[in-house]
Amino acid sequence: MTAELVDAIAEMRDDEAVPLAEKLLETGTRPIDILGACREAMAIVGRRFEEGEYFVPELILAGEMLREISELVKPLLAASSDVAKHGRIVLGTVAGDIHDIGKDIVYFMLDVNGFEVHDLGVDVPVDTFVEKVRELQPQVLALSGFLTLSYDAMKETVEALVQAGIRDTVKVMIGGGTVDEQVREYAGADAFGSDAMAAVTLARQWIGVAA
Amino acid sequence: MFEVIGEKINGTRKTVGTAVVERDAELIRSLAVRQAEAGASWIDVNAGTRSDREPDDLIWLVETVQAVTEVPLCLDSANPEALKAAIGVTARTPLLNSISGEAWRLESVLPLAAQHGCPVIALALDADGIPTGKDGRLAVISRLIEATREAGLPDSGVYVDPLVMTISTDITSALTALDTIRAIRELFPQVHITSGLSNISFGLPARQTVNRAFLTLAMAAGQDSAILDPLDRELRAAMIATELLLGRDRHCRGYTKAYRAGLLGGAPAAAPAPATATA
Repeated sequence: MTAELVDAIAEMRDDEAVPLAEKLLETGTRPIDILGACREAMAIVGRRFEEGEYFVPELILAGEMLREISELVKPLLAASSDVAKHGRIVLGTVAGDIHDIGKDIVYFMLDVNGFEVHDLGVDVPVDTFVEKVRELQPQVLALSGFLTLSYDAMKETVEALVQAGIRDTVKVMIGGGTVDEQVREYAGADAFGSDAMAAVTLARQWIGVAA
Repeated sequence: MFEVIGEKINGTRKTVGTAVVERDAELIRSLAVRQAEAGASWIDVNAGTRSDREPDDLIWLVETVQAVTEVPLCLDSANPEALKAAIGVTARTPLLNSISGEAWRLESVLPLAAQHGCPVIALALDADGIPTGKDGRLAVISRLIEATREAGLPDSGVYVDPLVMTISTDITSALTALDTIRAIRELFPQVHITSGLSNISFGLPARQTVNRAFLTLAMAAGQDSAILDPLDRELRAAMIATELLLGRDRHCRGYTKAYRAGLLGGAPAAAPAPATATA
């Protein structure tokens, strides 16, 4: 039965997927198995996106189906039985920049690959990044920016982590627009990525997760 | 006349970015000449480099492009220091890209425009981001035009960019943009309305198809300029045909001239073949 749910989500049949999840719940499928099916479907969607078969609209629709099904299932899950995540990542578009699509795709790809991702949104002040790194103690901080001015905000964010004495607690990756090795060096980040899959690869390396 | 702002010289594109850093003047000159020949009214220059080196890079771009074309430049940077430096070396009055409702941008770039008599691109966003609907954007645009008038700029020197959002993440993006364009045209008849075309199709395959259809609709709604790739033959053909259909091409002169110049359709018609006798 969960195979049908995987199929409905992966094939973008949103009118079927949510009712199917409801029916599965009613007929006694464990909530955790429904979430497992979602994750499996999302992995298929992510792979098709990487391979150029699916595009941004499919990612958005898959995300919507996932959200609706999660809302159905989550109240039924005891907090402790939540799916174990690989590691924690804080993500956001840096101060002065409001571009969100690239960041949202990175969020999606990290999430479907099993990381616990905290998205701070766009135009995130330097201090907010510092506060969240202190509070959530992520292994990875992912900074996004499309404008060339965002390179300065990335640099300021990394410097603020140094000032706060927590730079060594977290690996910093940057991405978006034309970031390259020069920008990485300028910003003082640990690595840069040119697409969403690069973010997943880096996170796996740093957190020690097999692909 | 529809004004094309040629978008090719943008350092956020990999090949151009490398050319800027390595001072590959040949590549930049070629992009400038080809866009000028394709009828661009403005040539956008965006260094795309980090802010500490951007002023020098933008100056280099301006000088490199000016050496081969008289088409005026559109100085494209979010960095007021870079704009200021580049204005100093322009031979013809440039278009400044851009101001917005964000206080720092307005306070740093608008005085430059006023001082040098430059037209400006005005983005419909402010410190709170891009308003989602038409009304929010109009509110920002109205405030911006109040500011440009106060600074002494004529409305005809303002190129309002309603900010076209990506249709792949919001299916109403084009409708919002078109509604906004119509409303701007009605409220401020003298301003120019421009926008980056390619944003609409981000995340989709065969993006040119979407860009072309959108340009046609936007022109019908009152947009009279666009930031686009002038070398895109199909796009240019759509633009020329739309000008014609909107009744702005007297006696279809622009259209037929473009055809004869080989800018649209198949190869320009050769002399009629002699009639052959049939058996």
